[in-house]
Amino acid sequence: MGAPFEFSYVIDYFVKLLPTISTTLLIVVSAMVLGLIISSIAALPQMYNIPVLKQLSKLYVSFFRGTPILIQLFLFYYGVPEILGLFGINANRAPAIYFVILTYSLHSGAFMVEMIRASVASVDRGQVEAAYAMGMSGPQAFFRIVLPQAYVTALPIFANMVIGSLKDTSLAFSVGVMEMTGKSSTLATISRHFIEAYISLALIYFVLSFVLERVFGVLERRVQKRGFAPI
Amino acid sequence: MSFDLSFVWTAFVQLLGVIPITLAITVVSVVLGFIIGTAVALLRQFRVPVLSQLATAYVTFIRGTPMITHLLLIYFGLPMIIDSVSSSLGLGFNSSSIPLIGFAYLSFSITAGAYASEIVRSGLLSVDRGQIEAAYSLGMTGTKALRRIVLPQAFAASLPNISNMLIGMLHGSTLAFAVSVVEINAKAQIVASTNWKFFEAYVAAALIFWGLTIMIERLTAVAEKRFRSYNRGGVS
Repeated sequence: MGAPFEFSYVIDYFVKLLPTISTTLLIVVSAMVLGLIISSIAALPQMYNIPVLKQLSKLYVSFFRGTPILIQLFLFYYGVPEILGLFGINANRAPAIYFVILTYSLHSGAFMVEMIRASVASVDRGQVEAAYAMGMSGPQAFFRIVLPQAYVTALPIFANMVIGSLKDTSLAFSVGVMEMTGKSSTLATISRHFIEAYISLALIYFVLSFVLERVFGVLERRVQKRGFAPI
Repeated sequence: MSFDLSFVWTAFVQLLGVIPITLAITVVSVVLGFIIGTAVALLRQFRVPVLSQLATAYVTFIRGTPMITHLLLIYFGLPMIIDSVSSSLGLGFNSSSIPLIGFAYLSFSITAGAYASEIVRSGLLSVDRGQIEAAYSLGMTGTKALRRIVLPQAFAASLPNISNMLIGMLHGSTLAFAVSVVEINAKAQIVASTNWKFFEAYVAAALIFWGLTIMIERLTAVAEKRFRSYNRGGVS
């Protein structure tokens, strides 16, 4: 099927793939930032039990957790221009990366709603009551008492999510974004050295997730040392 | 071009026919994954020399790389190895006679194995050591204690994880399109491009996956109720 294995290609492709890391990281970082914003808004109705909005938020979470990200990617890639077309906006020529970032933000946002809910629920209810008894307002109690503690619980989950979304970006090539996977399959098709290209691709992903894991490990230890953890 | 609701239904009906392929990929990879995962977890648990280091390397590598790279590596690498071995040994076997879905089964099982090993490990750790000691003191043998005391409780404790993995592999099965296996995603692509109605076809595909996921969640809830019954307290 391909050309015989030559190790020198692995190193050659490794170097050639390095510039495309920036596209991959752009998707990851924007998805995480936008996902955090979306999920902070979407988690509120669920935490404060607001009717109608709560059901909508649950529907959002259920849909994005219940369908594969690849299907969501195609859905948005084909669907968003059609919907915008109804309003007279022509998005057919918009770069694919916008759709990718939109999909990944909504996808990770849904998972983050669960993260926020779980970590806020992990803070003892008595603490909030104590804060109210001290005369704190709702936002004060949330930002001074709940958030610093919930954040410690959320950090490991968040770390997993970042690494998961790094690996998910490998699907963005299916709508034509030239990130690492897309680049490596292009390189492979040109030279017929498939295995070499995919080995260097796997190596880069492995190094990236390994580094991320280490960084988050250090962060987690520091956060726990600072005494945020509930006693 | 406007949204054609009736085509969503047409696509939905056409996609129903390939659900068995998606489910086959999911079930095969989860079942084989658990066999691999149990072996790997036991190797690591009992610190078997050499093999346990290999097992750790396998789990770290698989968990650190995307599922699609495993599929591509197996799809392009395995035929190379098989063909060179069979030509050097003079066997008449050619890798092109392997059905494409076989690559998906194999690669997804390898992926699932790494994740399953963590599930098995945490399940085994969730059982209190005192229970095993109690079983020994009642005169049970090691395998008997494992089968009667540890495994039922470990299984109950890891049910939520198993359900998550089942859903993860269901969603991961969409990658099989990369090796030309026609499952729901690939079929949606075919239906979409023959009728030039992409959005509608993917809405139908999303609905099917959503339904399947909710079904798995419901079944897990029922199973959890059943298998956790030992934990309910009380006298009967």
